[in-house]
Amino acid sequence: MTKMRVVEIAGNLMLKNDAIAGRLRDRFAQSATLVVNLLSSPGSGKTTLLEKTLQRLAGRHSIGVLVGDQATENDAARLSTADVDVRQITTGAECRLDADMIAKALDDWRDRRFDLLLIENVGNLICPAEYDLGEDLRVVLFSVTEGEDKPLKYPLAFNSSQVVLITKVDVAEAVGYDRAAATASIGQVNPQARILELSARSGLGMDAWFALLEERISAKALPAAR
Amino acid sequence: MHEVSVALSLLEGIQSTAAEQGIDRVYRVHVRVGALSGVASDALLFSWDVVTAQTICEGSELRVEDVPLVIYCRLCGGERAPLPGTGLLCPQCATVSPHIVRGREMDLVSMEVPA
Repeated sequence: MTKMRVVEIAGNLMLKNDAIAGRLRDRFAQSATLVVNLLSSPGSGKTTLLEKTLQRLAGRHSIGVLVGDQATENDAARLSTADVDVRQITTGAECRLDADMIAKALDDWRDRRFDLLLIENVGNLICPAEYDLGEDLRVVLFSVTEGEDKPLKYPLAFNSSQVVLITKVDVAEAVGYDRAAATASIGQVNPQARILELSARSGLGMDAWFALLEERISAKALPAAR
Repeated sequence: MHEVSVALSLLEGIQSTAAEQGIDRVYRVHVRVGALSGVASDALLFSWDVVTAQTICEGSELRVEDVPLVIYCRLCGGERAPLPGTGLLCPQCATVSPHIVRGREMDLVSMEVPA
């Protein structure tokens, strides 16, 4: 048996990502860009929400969109009809975006400045929750068709988000959505979350979402007098 | 699943420490993985064997220490371990605490190398 010695290594695996995310955060502070990281399961309505959000805000603000997808470029194609700069990040085997991917995508945009950068993460609630992208606001989508206990199954995604959007509420009744149960399970992992119920398709509740974005965009653009 | 990229970051961390210290062989690696980290130990072990092929860690054993979720409950004034499937609910007073003390770890702890 070979003699062995132990070498201590104090290293969090997220250190590298977090360092890059920190630099991104500085960069976004300088450019006064509000950055929103959207998390969700596949099929919870992220792309439709983005579409409507862009239609509403595009004329008033300069907006960039980064769309993460493992394989296709369909989402970018679908969104780029609006008057907005959309870039797709095809992640291949990776199940999430990381800070380095964002930094590289931004390098292509060197001379562009945005009021708002929307990042559509890869559709899954596990991996993306781990990766800080330098965002100001993490938003998790949770559709009424998904099962009210989802927050309990993916606690980190819900715990690390400041905003929970309950989507597709136009079909809530048809699918037997239990609002009290859903709100309770969100409360169990994130009592401070701001919860908005909306339907991107019918427009129900969308004004509150637009107002929240507008408010955060102006807060970042003009820091309150200290 | 992101275990392959976790395993790759792990390998990267080890390779850089090994290079600094002139280590060319690693027999065993210790890591700490929190319950909320989204990393499945089995998948990580499998990924480890795959990503370490033809590296200084080839054939090495990965020891994964699972760290359970612990919250700080303000009402009770102490650290508590929520029951599975109850989110961040304190098992004693049933209030929710957003303060996660342990359970998010993804830490490289140490490695065993030839003396």
